[in-house]
Formats: sequence, structure tokens, C-alpha cells
Amino acid sequence: MPEFTKPYESRWQAFLLLLPTFAVLIAFLYYPGVETFRLSLQQTILLGTRKTFVGLENYATLATSSAYHWSFAISVAFAAVVVVGTLVASLFVAYLLFQVDVGSSTYLIAAIWPYALPTAVAASVLLFLLHPSLGIITYVLESLTGTSLDWFTNGPQAFAIVAVVAIWKQLGYNIIFMVASLNNIPETLTESAKLDGVGHLKMLYRVYVPLMSPTLVFLVVMNTIYAFFQTFPLVDLMTSGGPNEATNLLIFKLYRDAFEFSNLGLASAESVVLFAIVAILMYVQLRLSESYTTYA
Amino acid sequence: MSDIHIDGLTKEFDDVTAVDDISFDVDSGEFLVLVGPSGCGKSTTLRMIAGLEDITSGELRIGERRVNELAPKERNIAMVFQNYALYPHMTSAENMKFGMKSVSDYTSEEINERVRKAADILDIPELLDRKPSELSGGERQRVAIGRAIVREPDVFLLDEPLSNLDAKLRVQMRAELLQLHRELDATTVYVTHDQTEAMTLGDRVAVLNDGQIEQVDPPQMLYDFPDTRFVAEFIGSPAMNIVPIDLAFGDGAVAHHESFELSLPNPELFTERPDSAYFGVRPEDVSLVDNVAGDPETFEAEVSVTEPLGESLLVHCLLGGDELHVKAEARTELDAGDTVELCVDEERLHVFDDAGDAIYHSSPRGETVSDAAETQVEP
Repeated sequence: MPEFTKPYESRWQAFLLLLPTFAVLIAFLYYPGVETFRLSLQQTILLGTRKTFVGLENYATLATSSAYHWSFAISVAFAAVVVVGTLVASLFVAYLLFQVDVGSSTYLIAAIWPYALPTAVAASVLLFLLHPSLGIITYVLESLTGTSLDWFTNGPQAFAIVAVVAIWKQLGYNIIFMVASLNNIPETLTESAKLDGVGHLKMLYRVYVPLMSPTLVFLVVMNTIYAFFQTFPLVDLMTSGGPNEATNLLIFKLYRDAFEFSNLGLASAESVVLFAIVAILMYVQLRLSESYTTYA
Repeated sequence: MSDIHIDGLTKEFDDVTAVDDISFDVDSGEFLVLVGPSGCGKSTTLRMIAGLEDITSGELRIGERRVNELAPKERNIAMVFQNYALYPHMTSAENMKFGMKSVSDYTSEEINERVRKAADILDIPELLDRKPSELSGGERQRVAIGRAIVREPDVFLLDEPLSNLDAKLRVQMRAELLQLHRELDATTVYVTHDQTEAMTLGDRVAVLNDGQIEQVDPPQMLYDFPDTRFVAEFIGSPAMNIVPIDLAFGDGAVAHHESFELSLPNPELFTERPDSAYFGVRPEDVSLVDNVAGDPETFEAEVSVTEPLGESLLVHCLLGGDELHVKAEARTELDAGDTVELCVDEERLHVFDDAGDAIYHSSPRGETVSDAAETQVEP
């Protein structure tokens, strides 16, 4: 048996090698985390220059605030739409990419391009394209459907537009993983199904999806995190939480409470709650998926 | 059951010709083995029959139907893959049913009945509720074969089905495949790179090399009368000895080599009479003179290496600049450097021309193979 070669010579050396990682984690994750929690137990004015300890009062305020309840409800709805929408849309695009023989890498690049754009840039560009009175996409949609789109004033429309943009932005990320996962499925399974005459859709949901399930679970978790945390620039640039609070997601609301209304204590409490919600959701997702996932 | 007719089949991948204008027939109920080294085009040929590869040119007929343009599912064939190709998230029974269910004209009772029957034939009823990950390699291959059986196809195609199994299991599955073939009497095309598998399984064996067919014959015929030098060296283990010779034709035919001179019987059997050629003799057809009665023509050689094979001793001898392998009796006491006196079985000699084609076998073709077809199917 070959002797196990240690990559380091002493515990100290090991510690030194780990130090940079831990330093970054501590400075930018754990310390701010603890600080946020501490802040959430305080009342602050003037961006935290004066603080008083108030215990759980901030949490109590959130629990009784109808504005917060609303924000919570639309954030969950938004996350559900974005997670499901992203998965379904990416799955079909990925499946088509997987099946195409000619120019597949060109298609793949085209499909993952949106992901390469910074979210803020994408939001600005789409704001133009989807502008209620100037946008070219809006114009086409309106002339095709005969409806009038005015998502600057119509709440449900604004919610839908932001959700669609959020899905569009996340497609590339999902497609990369899905195509990789599809390519990992042994080709003989596909060939065997061809000989049996199994249809494409049946093959997708009876064979490919079950075999991709570990990747899909991972993507559900990543998309959930994305929908709750990383959609801030979209809301900020496109709707600023409006119209009529229709897109005032938790992540945007806590930013506003902190930096527009200077209520750092309350915003910190919102931050902690949001973290808890996502943590619980991830736990539930992973537990539920365990029984359905095939790790072949 | 259907027969298969292959006429001038060619497959080109960009600038590579994988299969080059091959033609052969598979009779209804026949077990034909395609054998050859890696990259010889045997799998491509099988995949063209299955419809998994397009046919560049030539014609493929199954039964009376031209199937070149038909999709795989319309050809009514079943294929067994080297890696089994079982769906890992389905039980054995589900694996066997899945393909059947997509062909809508079967009721679920019919399907269940067929699965039960196939499981009985393969002796796997107790495995039906298990998933592939809970099965051994041999069991998985049985399930994969079961999946092919339930379809009741016109043609079975098997692509190196035993290559992923360990040696002992391979021998066992080989026998079972033969038995299964006799039970089902299905037209079968079987691809392997293993000449032992080819010899034991095939009613006939097609040897492929470099995209072309070298010979299609019953196994014993291949062994006794190889059409080409390639077949001679590929079929049989250890391989046939081939040494360069000069030929002299007078009253008879005499082969000259720097360390032996041998008169070849039945010189009228030569189809060509070149000055130089290659002389072929199988290791078991060369003997140490001590072990042979009578007064044969003999020649001397020097032992370089001995390999005990258990049931025999393989002796590597130096014959001038060439090497000759001799299968001697087990436990013969020989050392490297010893000089031995050798003789050959005069009925089992072969001569190949420079192009590699056989121009002479010392026995008339067909004499020693009269009962080969019957004996080889015994598992």
C-alpha cells in the first residue's frame, strides 16, 4: 500500500495554509453576521451613531407590521415563480441543446450569455427594452396581444416583469449545469430508448429528469438563494419596490429600511429573519429531495 | 424471426471509412459473430443494423424489407449493450417494461406476462424488484437480455455483452447465451473482440479487419482453412506461426527456410506458385520428434523460452531469425538454449502469399470440418 503523503509537515503549517481562507471568511462573513445579529437587538439613529439596546423589539415590530407581512408574502411568491420558472425553462432549453448535433457550442454560448452580464447592466438594458412607452419588446408584445402594458403603474405587471427578467438572468447558470448533467448520462441509455421507440418527452421526464435529480436539487437550492438575495439590483433599477409595493421584496425592503429610512436596527432584524427563512427552506428542500433523488 | 441481408454496406465518418463495402447474410435463426480487433468496424456494422448510425451506402434488408431509411424503433430489433444500459432508477421489472410500454398496443397484462416469462427463462424472478445498483454484473446483463427478450424482436443484436464480466462469469454466461439462443432460436448478431467467444458461440463467424470482411465461415472452418494470414493469426491462441519461405516446385512442392526444408504434400492444391511466400503452422501442429512415432521430416531449433500453460508447455524456439511456437506435452523437460528436433503435422500446413491471401492448405478444404458445425454448439 502506498504511503500516505501529507501535504503539510506540522499542524502549524496546516493552520497557515488555511489562514487566508479563514481570514476572509471571518472578516467578511462571520464577523458581519455576528455584528448584524447584535445590531438587530438595538435601536439606532443616524446610521448607527447612537444605539440603545431594545432586546427583541425590532423582531416584534416586524411580526406585527403589515407592510413586512406583505413583503414576506410577495418574496415567497416571487421565489416560487422564479425557482420553478427558471428550472422549467432551463430544462427545455438544456434538453434542446443536448439533442442538437450541429453548432451545439454556439447555441450553448448564446444560451448562457445572459449569465455573463452583470445584473445591474442587464437590468438597465432590459429596462430600456421593456419600457412601457419606449421599449421595443413592449411594443411588439402590445401589438401582438392587443393589450396595453404599463408596468410602471400596474403592480401585478411589474411583479411579472421582474420575475421574467430574474428568470431570464438565471437561465444560463442553470443551463450549464443541466447540459453537463445530461452529457453525463450514458449514451447507451438514449440509444436503448431509441430502439424501443420511447418519445422525447417521455424520455425527458421518465429517464433524464430522475437521472439529473442530484443536479436539479442543487439548482433548486441555488435558485432559491438567488431569488431571495441576488434579485436586489433588478428591483432597485427597474421598479424600486413599486408600484404600490408590488415588488418590494424582503431584500429590497431591508435595504430601504437601512439606508433610506436609516433604521439599521430594524433592517438588521429583517436581515436575520431573511437568513433564517432561506436557511430553513434549504433544509426542507434537501430533506424532501433525499427520498426522490437517484444518486446512480 | 427474420434473416438479414447486407449488401455493400459502407460507413464513412468525415474522412475515415469505418466500414468498407461489406456484404454478408445472416440466416433466420442463425447466430452470427462479428469478430475483429478494436477499430475494425464491427461495432459500427452492428450499429448500422440497429439504425443508430446512418448508412453511407449499400443496402440493409431485414426479412424482405429494406430498412436503410427506417428509424431504429421501426426495425423491430433489440440490442444488448456492453455496459447493460439499464435505467438506474428503475427496478429490473420496470427496466424490462419501459420500452414495451412505449409501444402502445400491449396491455399491461400482456407486458407482465412477458416479463414473467422472460424472468423464468433467465432464472431471475427474484431480481425483478431490485434496482441495477443492487445487482451484480452478471445479473445486470441478465436483466438487459431479459429486456431484449420481452420485446420479441425479429433480430437480437449484442455488442460485447460479456466484456464487462470477470473471466469465470464470462465462461458461464457464454454457455447460458448458447442455451438461450437454442431456446429462442432468434436471429442473432453478436459483436466481440474475443476470438474464443467467437469460436464458441457462432454458428458462423465473420472476421473483420480494417473495415473489411476477411472471411465468413463456421468456426472450425475458420480455424482449419483461414482464407487470409490475418484470420490465421487472429483466430486461435496461441496464434499461428508464420515464417517467410522460398518455394520450389518440381515433382512436388518444397518450402525452403534458412533452417529447414520441407516438402509440402498435395502440391496440386496450390492456387498460385510464387517464388516466395509465408508458411503457416499452428503451435499444436508442431511436435518434438521424441513424441512422434514413425520417420517424419525433421528440423532443428533452439529453445529460447518455455511457458508452462498447465495442460501443455508452450516452447518458443529460434528458427534462424524467426521464432516458432510449439505446443509440447506438459512437463516436458526443456531449458532455454537446448536444441530440439521438430516435425510438423503434414495435414495442417498453410501457405500465404505476400498480399496475405491463402494460396495453399495441405488438406483439401472441407475434409476435416465435416462435423464441426454440430460439435461447436455444445456449451
